[in-house]
Order: sequence, then structure tokens, then C-alpha cells
Amino acid sequence: MAVIRDMMPAFELFQPATVEDAAALLREHGEQAWVMAGGLDSFDWFKDRVKRPSVVVDLGGVDALKGIESTADGLEIGAMTPLTDVVRHPDIRERYGLLQQAAELVASPQIRNQGTIGGNNSQDTRCWYYRDGWTCYRADGNICYADTPTSMNREHAIFGADRCVAVNPSDTAPALVALDAQMVVQTAGGERLMDAADYFIGPSIDITRMTILEPGDLLTAIRIPSTWAGATFYFEKVRDRQVWDFPLVNVATALRVSGSTIEDARVAVNGVAPYPMRLTAVEDALRGGSRDEATAERAGDLAVRGARALRHNGYKIPLMRNLVKRSIRAEA
Amino acid sequence: MNFLTWGTDPWGQEVLIRISWDLLYVASVLGILFVGAHAVWLAFFVQEEAEAVDEAALAGVPEKVARHSLASRVFHWVMAAAMLALLLTGFLPVIGIQFPWVTIHWVAGVVLTLSVIYHTIHATFWLGLSAMLVGPKDISDAVSRFKRSIGQDAPAPRKHGKYPLENRLYHHAITLTGGLVIVTGILMMFRIDTPLWARDPYIFTDPTWGMIYVVHGLSAVSLVTLVIAHIYFGIRPEKRWITWSMVWGWIDRRHYVEHHDPEQWAARSEGSSGQR
Amino acid sequence: MADIEITEAADPGVSRRNFIKGVIAAGAAVGSANYMFRGAGSMFAQATTPGAVERLITITVNGQQRRVDIMRQETLATTLRYKLGLTGTKIGCDRSECGACTVLIDEVPHYACSILTHSVRGRSVRTIEGLAAEDGTLHPVQQAVVSEQGFQCAFCMSGYVMAAVGYLQDNPNPTRADLAHGLSGNLCRCADYNKILNTMEQAAENMRQA
Repeated sequence: MAVIRDMMPAFELFQPATVEDAAALLREHGEQAWVMAGGLDSFDWFKDRVKRPSVVVDLGGVDALKGIESTADGLEIGAMTPLTDVVRHPDIRERYGLLQQAAELVASPQIRNQGTIGGNNSQDTRCWYYRDGWTCYRADGNICYADTPTSMNREHAIFGADRCVAVNPSDTAPALVALDAQMVVQTAGGERLMDAADYFIGPSIDITRMTILEPGDLLTAIRIPSTWAGATFYFEKVRDRQVWDFPLVNVATALRVSGSTIEDARVAVNGVAPYPMRLTAVEDALRGGSRDEATAERAGDLAVRGARALRHNGYKIPLMRNLVKRSIRAEA
Repeated sequence: MNFLTWGTDPWGQEVLIRISWDLLYVASVLGILFVGAHAVWLAFFVQEEAEAVDEAALAGVPEKVARHSLASRVFHWVMAAAMLALLLTGFLPVIGIQFPWVTIHWVAGVVLTLSVIYHTIHATFWLGLSAMLVGPKDISDAVSRFKRSIGQDAPAPRKHGKYPLENRLYHHAITLTGGLVIVTGILMMFRIDTPLWARDPYIFTDPTWGMIYVVHGLSAVSLVTLVIAHIYFGIRPEKRWITWSMVWGWIDRRHYVEHHDPEQWAARSEGSSGQR
Repeated sequence: MADIEITEAADPGVSRRNFIKGVIAAGAAVGSANYMFRGAGSMFAQATTPGAVERLITITVNGQQRRVDIMRQETLATTLRYKLGLTGTKIGCDRSECGACTVLIDEVPHYACSILTHSVRGRSVRTIEGLAAEDGTLHPVQQAVVSEQGFQCAFCMSGYVMAAVGYLQDNPNPTRADLAHGLSGNLCRCADYNKILNTMEQAAENMRQA
């Protein structure tokens, strides 16, 4: 790795003020262009000289992408809204506490002041083999260094691996999936609206990308419908140290409970697969059940069905099982 | 344009990854150019000799001359399906059409491998290899045929054996590229998760793997060109009777007499026991 | 060495020193023309791409307008330390993982190592140098550091102080646990965390009284 780390290699910088200008720049520069939100993921790549884009389009000046607005059905959060603003927004606190809890647990206060909700959901994986700049599958090579008989893969996937075993590191992503959020994506062909769960893709679809965004595409906003407003929420993140760290496993659960009966449920887990995983089988099993120890136990067991551990990440299976279990059992 | 793609290994050294996908476009363009050139050549430059079919010679020939046994035909179409599946699953993601392709690819690869093993045994012990040999006489016949087609004087060539020279050369090209792609493909299955064996990318060193990927890639893009040419000939109107013989197993008496040499390929009736 | 001396002596036309001076002067003329005629109507305006950035920009640091010549990829920490001489901002990890470079941008704590200087155009930057009053009176948080002697080697101190100033402006009545959470984006390699928290509790008290 390079010795001098306080200066990044040169790139051309653009700081457009409108979404249209940003989109025009991305169209003009195509695959050469790097879209930068808060920059916290980007600068690591640049400083380590692993990714060296010739053009950086910094969205920090696009005010239209910032801010949280109430809509007819819920909320619309601009993609460039800092996580701190998400945490502090009174409506999110009161009605969508799941997202607030998740955003509050991201990295450190300074990072939350600068890191954006769009960036947190579009960030690249933390697999260090990949981050070290080795030409693995994700870097358009033809090997996974994290899945060999000698790999150190404690943080890697137990679900959804396809050649690449890296995981999605976002905390807010599973919360958005559990809240049935929708992503607003600006593409060359116009605006596309998609479920949060469809925004994230695994290596079987494209091994070099974490999201559906292609060069030139922009995530502009995240819409949270009122479907789950005020539901019973549970978010827990397990990590090696209590600040900065990415999740080993996190769980985001939304329950609609009437008396002791679970009417409907959303359970999403991250840190276990290359994308935030919505556990539909668990949700189906929960629906109509009573919120008790036995149901929680069954949900936990169902959650890890089909999990496949690598050499060093077997602990993630009981961890995920217990987190899901706890998220159902917990008293609101 | 690049020929090879290089990457960085854990020790910071340049390591061969695979061929450059630029070659895929080169191979496709070559295939299309060949097809175009051949079509123009046939339409404008070749002077068709209307060959008179000796009506008397028809008499001793069965009405339907058996050409491909059911086993051969089944092999051909299984192989064709596997090959197309392999090319599509291998190359569509390269040109930007993304889908979960790996499982389909390796399963089709296994089907191809099994069909080729079957064909090798069948051809060696039942069909015989002689129909595929190319000798000096074949070359001189080809030269004569070419000269006559452009209106020059040349001795009349023999008619074809069971397979015209072009067929045999094409088969050898497929044998080479297909063989390489199969061998490298089987080795590459050690790098992915299959139920067949445990994934272990360390059975070879990185540079060796690079060579394996390059050979697999080169063979595969060559197959793109070869398959384009093959499908083109398969659907050309004046060759349609050969294509149909791969479906029904026989050619009619007139085509047999017109194109084939009974010395090299004796006619047997469709349905007779000696059918190959 | 001898070769160079001879060359210089043998060339009466342009000495190397004069040549270098000339280049610098020409560069300054071009640079200042750009500076002086900026915004002077369409005469010098180029048809630039929307969003293109300039080399010479003005940033507001500790209340002063500072004109700096920066690279596209320059981080605020580099500009502060090496262009503006404000070395109170430390560079620890340069990876937004230690907090030593924390400064306030529009009164919100940010890691100066992980924001482009170009991104703070039109925003107000406050560093440790800008905390004390004109007359030298220390900021309440600085006063608490002095009175509680909260740091050992104090390399991390300026970052901690800036993070605390930002945090206490938002939450003037924190519990010890709140403070620990609010300052969790900074590391102390001496692991002096208890004393730092004592200091910051005192700082909160000082700020409430101020």
C-alpha cells in the first residue's frame, strides 16, 4: 500500500448544484465518473489507491437531494440527508423509530454528521481482501480470496454467496427493507421507483456491484410509506466494538401486535448476506401467531434455515438465530 | 483494444486474469464478416455448374439414404443445446445482460462434457474414425473445386465422401476448441461451489489459473465465430437438405447421387440394420 | 556540482536564479489576473461545465475569509495545516477513524481529513485556534481542560475539544453516558477516557454558566 496517505491521487472534481447537472455530468463521463455522497467510503478507496476514478461528481452541493418531507403517504427522505438529520427528525423518531435506531448506531457521531442515508445504503462491502485491492471476483477478477481453505472469513456471508462471499455492511438498509421503503432512482430513461429489497443485488446478479445502480444512475430519495408507522420496532446491531464498527449481524423487526397476537411482521437482517435479507418465511410463520417464547424460538430457527457457514463464521448462525428470536420476544 | 486482462494478486504482483473481452467483439465481427463475405461470394462470383444427375445411377440407390443414426442425431442436438446455453450464459453477462448465470453455465458444461464423452466412445468404436480423416487427395480436390467455381480450368474433383472436406475441417476445429474449453471448464469448476467436489482455488498457482482462464476464453470466443458460421450454413437454402438429414436421419437419393461418391460412402437404406 | 557552477558562469544571458524568478512572476501574474478579474463580467468568463470547480477559492476559517489555492483532491485537514498554518488540527489516522482532526463546519463536528476543502466553500469552519476570545479568554471547554488536566499526551485533545464544543451546543445538559456517546467519534491512545469525561462534564458546567 502506498506510503503517503494524506493526499489522494488527482481527479477532476465536479460539484453540481442541481440533480439535472449531476445527471448530465454522469452521462457525459459514464464509467469514468465516481458518484460521491458524504465521501466517507469514497476517500478510503482513493487514499488507498485501490479505486482511481478520473472524475468525481460530489453531490454535496445538490440541495434538492437534502431534507425530509412529509408526503401524502409517509415520508420522503432526500438521498443526501445526513444520518444525524434522520436520527433527529421528530417524525422519524415518533413513527419510524426503527430507522432512527438503525441510523443512530452507524459508525461515529462525526460520520453520522457527514454520511448520508443514500450513501449508507449504497456503500461498498467491507471485505478486506477486496478492499486491499486484490483482483477478486468483485474487482472483475476470477477468484474469491475470502472463500478458500485458508481464508480469514469471520465477517463474511452465511447466505446468498455466489462465488463472492462478501456481505452488505449497512445498518439502515435492513430498517428500510423492514419499513417497506421505496427507492427513487434517476436513470437515463427517467425516474424509477423500486422496493428497497430490490435495490440491493447479490453477486449472482452482478458480482461487481452492491446495488442496482448502474453508471449514470442516481439514488435521489427514499420514500417510507405509512404502512408501518408506529408499529412495534426492534433493532439490534452486534459489532466487535461499540463505535465505528460495521455490523457482524444486525436485525430490524417491525411487528403489528394486537393483544398478544402478531397481525403482521417484517423481519430483515444484514451482515449475513451480500444484501439486506428480508426473512419472508419468518414473517409468514409469525403472522397470526401469538407473541411468546415459542413463536420467537420458531422464528429464530426458521431464520437460519439454509445458512451455510464458511470456515470462521459459523458463529453467525446462532447469533442471527438469537437476534431474530430476541427481536420477536422483546417487550416494546 | 487489449488481448489480455491483468490484475493484482495478494503479493502485489501482476497476474493474468483472462482474455480481454474485446476479443469477444472481434470474434463476433469475424463471424459476421465471414457470413457476409461468403453470401456475397456465392451470390455474385460463383458460377454454378448445373450438374447433370445421371438418371441411370439413381436406380441402384435406395430412395432414402441413411446418413445419421438416431444416436448421432440426439448427440448433435444435445451438444448444440448445451453449447448455445454455455455461450449465452457465458457471454450475455459480459455484454451487460445480468442474471444468475453460473449454475446454468456449469450444468450445461457437465451436459456438454457427458455428451462429448458419449460421442467419443460412439465414434471410436461404432462409427469409425475414417470418415473424418483428411488426406492429400482431399486437398487437391478442394483446389480443383475452387478453381472450377471461379471459372478456371481444373480436373474434375471426386464427389464427396460421407462428409465434405469443409465439414471435416469444421469438426476438427470444434474438436480442438471444444476439447480445450471442456478441459479448462472442468478445472474451473474447482473455483465455484458445485455438489461435485469441494471448492479449492489453490489446486493451481495464480499464473496457472490465469493460463487456464485465457485458454477457456480463447476457445470460447473461437466457438462464437465457429457457431455463427455453422448456423449460417445450416440455414442456407442449398444446404438445407444436410440440415434436415440431422433431423430425420436420411438424405434423398438425388442428393446422394449428385454430391456423394459411392466409392467413399456406400449408400445404405434408411432403416437398414447397418445404419450409422 | 562543478558542472553547474561553470554553466551558470558561462551563460551571461539568463542566470538560473533569474529564470526561476521569471517563471514565478509569470505564474503570479496569471494567477492574480484570475483573482482580480473574477466576476468581472463575461469578458473573462469561459463556457464551463456546470459544477466545475476553480483552484482559487475563499473559505471562512475562524471568522476570517481565507483565499487559498487548492487541489481538487485536497482535504480540509491538509489545507488547514499546510496552507493556512493552523496546525492545531491534527492528522491521526487520515481515515475518519480517530477523531484527531475534528473541526466544526457550520458548528457541526466533522473529520477534517475526510472532507474536501472544496466542499466547505461558503460554509464556516471553526478550528481549535478559533475557540478562544480575541482577548485570550479561553473557551469554557478549553478552560475545563486546563482546570481538570484531562489529557495525558494531548495529541487527541484538539479533536476532543472541537467534538465537545459541537456536542454541547446541541445538548447542554448531558449525562456522563450521553457525553460518552456524543464524544464516541474520538479516540485517545493514552486511554484517558475517564479523565476526559470528567473534563467534559466540567466543560458542560462551564458552558452553562458562561
